[in-house]
Amino acid sequence: MSWAWVGFAVLTGAAVFSALRVVLSPSITHAALHLAIVLVAVAGYFLLLQSEFLAVVQVLVYVGAVMTVIIFAIMLSDLPLIRGGAGLRAGLGSERFGWLPLLVACGVGALVLVGYGSVVWTAAPLAFQESLPMLADTTGQGTTGLIGRALFTSYLVPFEVASLLLLAALVGAIVLTRREVAVRVRELPKPVDLRAVARTGRGPAGPKAGDEADAERASAGGEA
Amino acid sequence: MVSYAYVVPLLPLFAFGLQSLFGRALGRATAWVGIACLAASTAVSLAVLAEVLRGAEAAVSWPWLSLGGATFSMGVRVGPLEAAMIAMVTFVSLMVEVYSVGYMAGDAKFNRFFAIVNLFVGAMLVVVLADNFLLLFAGWEIMGLASYLLIGHWYHDLANARAATKSFLVTRLGDIGLLIGIFVCYQAAGTLDFAVIDAGAASWAPGVATLAALLIFAGAVGKSAQVPLHVWLPDAMAGPTPVSALIHAATMVAAGVFLVARTYPVFEASGTALAVVAVVGGVTAFLAATVGTVQADIKKMLAYSTISQLGYMMLGLGVFGYAAALFHLLSHAFFKALLFLGSGSVIHAARGEQDMHRMGGLFRKLPLTGLTFIVGGLALAGIPPFAGYFSKDEVLLTAWENERWLFWLGAATAGITGFYIARGIYLTFFGRPRDAELYTHAHESPPVMAVPLVVLAVFAAFFGWLGSASLGRLVQAFLALPGEAEPEAAWYAAASTIALAAAGVVAGGLLYGAARPELRAHLVRVLRPVYVLFREKWYFDHLALGATGLGLAASAFVGWFDRTVVDGLVNAVAWFTGVLGQASRRLAVGDAQAYMLTMAGAVLVGLAALLGLGVSRP
Amino acid sequence: MMPELPVAAYLVVSVVLFSIGLFGALRRRNAIMVLMAIELMLNAVNLNLVAFSRYLPGAVAPGQVFAVFVITVAAAEAAVGLAIVLLLARSRRTADVPDVRDLKG
Repeated sequence: MSWAWVGFAVLTGAAVFSALRVVLSPSITHAALHLAIVLVAVAGYFLLLQSEFLAVVQVLVYVGAVMTVIIFAIMLSDLPLIRGGAGLRAGLGSERFGWLPLLVACGVGALVLVGYGSVVWTAAPLAFQESLPMLADTTGQGTTGLIGRALFTSYLVPFEVASLLLLAALVGAIVLTRREVAVRVRELPKPVDLRAVARTGRGPAGPKAGDEADAERASAGGEA
Repeated sequence: MVSYAYVVPLLPLFAFGLQSLFGRALGRATAWVGIACLAASTAVSLAVLAEVLRGAEAAVSWPWLSLGGATFSMGVRVGPLEAAMIAMVTFVSLMVEVYSVGYMAGDAKFNRFFAIVNLFVGAMLVVVLADNFLLLFAGWEIMGLASYLLIGHWYHDLANARAATKSFLVTRLGDIGLLIGIFVCYQAAGTLDFAVIDAGAASWAPGVATLAALLIFAGAVGKSAQVPLHVWLPDAMAGPTPVSALIHAATMVAAGVFLVARTYPVFEASGTALAVVAVVGGVTAFLAATVGTVQADIKKMLAYSTISQLGYMMLGLGVFGYAAALFHLLSHAFFKALLFLGSGSVIHAARGEQDMHRMGGLFRKLPLTGLTFIVGGLALAGIPPFAGYFSKDEVLLTAWENERWLFWLGAATAGITGFYIARGIYLTFFGRPRDAELYTHAHESPPVMAVPLVVLAVFAAFFGWLGSASLGRLVQAFLALPGEAEPEAAWYAAASTIALAAAGVVAGGLLYGAARPELRAHLVRVLRPVYVLFREKWYFDHLALGATGLGLAASAFVGWFDRTVVDGLVNAVAWFTGVLGQASRRLAVGDAQAYMLTMAGAVLVGLAALLGLGVSRP
Repeated sequence: MMPELPVAAYLVVSVVLFSIGLFGALRRRNAIMVLMAIELMLNAVNLNLVAFSRYLPGAVAPGQVFAVFVITVAAAEAAVGLAIVLLLARSRRTADVPDVRDLKG
């Protein structure tokens, strides 16, 4: 029994247990925290798979950003605790659709496993690829270099599209959640009475010649 | 001149154009424009006839339509038949048009009348001279149109309009047959040219020839008012009398006979078709004559007489008496036109009265009309030496040779013919005047009407001589097909026909001239069933109505089928789509998780299907 | 480093996590719960991808780049999704999925 197996067992135990808590917990905050544990466990898996870049990205983005957003949303939605669900204790007949979700989920899972067939269940399964297909200038940079190189060459277009997507999501989220701001309508200037102007020889009430001179001096002074 | 024969139809058509466009400006002179053109046309036709008599022939054609691979031409063929026909048609039309100047004087639509008469004459001449089916059919249809327009000349009276519609529709039935017959000929011969069709008809399969012949005959039955499509002709008397004289006696109705003659080789190629023609002709002749005996209206009597005489012509054609039938066609044109114009004269004198029972004793007032009418009547009855005798005799002799029973039918009809025309003459011109008012105001016709009567009477009297044995049977020789023999002069047959005709005339004269009305009334009572049968025209109108009823029932069924089955099918599809839509609507719950569940289920099914399709398993 | 772990291990874990996530997404009432379950599923997918990328020859770059993109899109989707949930909670005082049936046909 090597350390890999131990690590794997620990991660798996944590991940599966927390995943079950996520979907079965009556309390939404508990569910959120357990989700965080799952996300960290997955980062651990990535490390086991020697994909260090992804592990770090996983922690930074998923745990750091997405979980934060989720918790913010939970807090800001200002709802009473979720109603009607008592999780595992209430049995599988509560919540929605009775036993169908379980059936469907188990069915899908089973079928996928069956579908893995020759890959997963054979006597000679796939072997772990020790060496990465290194390119000349990325030796020693591990998966980070590899991914970086790939993103800026073969996958450049999807990369740009993804940035557009993030921009759209950013703008969308802000627009959606902005509180209505009351806009004060500025008063329009009064219409000019031309007959009065003709009679009195004075223009419409506005900044007089003197004011303008003051403003100029003020700005000139400010500059100097 | 023969190669310019195409001028003959063009002149009346040109007149039609002038009269239509400038009739209003020309006023009364419009009629004379038409008459001038027609006179020129007549002159040309006579010149052509003179040349053809000397053996000339002509065929001219121009390309007309090019459809796909086939080219259709417009052309003229002049042989003995055509030359004789155009001479007769132009001449009789000229007489009728001159007569009409007097008869239609004062009519509100004077110019329209003449324009359409000229259109008609042009169309008829096109039919005669056409060298292919397409051109003939075009002229045929225009004739039908002109007939319709002229019958309904006084269309303000709805009855006239209906009569015109009836004539058009009934002839249309025949025209459909003709059209399909043309298609069959085209299929069989690959062209519509008469020259080719006539030459090749002998080599067609007998079934094809019979089919084509019968279909063409259908068109002739319609146009020439043979049984059972004869019902329109008596109704067509609603038109002005000159129209009846020209179209429904001398020319258009003769077009059917002409058509059969023109396509005779096709009929000859099929044995049965000619037999059908003969039987139809004979039966028509007999039936129509019987109905003519009980008519009160002078024009209707003449209408039935026309139907009967056309039956004779068909009979002649059917028993291989080609030349005889055509000879009768020509002589009939003259004396029937004469009779109609004479009756028009009487009607004109009687200020529109047409019921013979209200006439009587008009001979003293209308001597010229009466005399010419009697000449025509004797010609009709077939009393020698008048024209009708020679031509009818020829037909009957041919029948005697080929189909004996048809001869007896024809001979009986001759007797009945004599009877009804004598009746007509006596009722109209002799005896005591039955309507004093009518009698007082009756006067002879003006010269413009009288001259044509006289001219036609001359022809009715003497034309027959041209075909008589003593003068070498010129007409038949001229018209006969090559190889056609003249019928043997069975004197006993000829004698029996003369005897029967004379007996008929005498009987009619006695019964209506000498006998008292009580005797006639007594006879009617005794022979009541026969009388009713004749008066009801052998119930043909009822048959026609019944047929219409059948047609309506059939169309009612078709309509029901269309509404219920066809529409029902379409509606059912729509309804089913609606049902599907309503069912599918249940899926659109608006609940996102339900959609997710459905999708997950679909994925499940998809996976299962994928995996079940033979993916390798460990 | 530690090559004895068979690929099956990772794959089984990924499938289990995915099933759990699917179960939760279909079953829970609260919209935020559903979103969390979906994040679970996405992570399972990422695990699957990366596992294969390390066990299939030459699949390192595509697998891991794909996983990067999945993370990116998941983040964007979470942001917008939660914004919508917030909006819903504000205006209708509920965050339950079955309560939002405006598109019912």
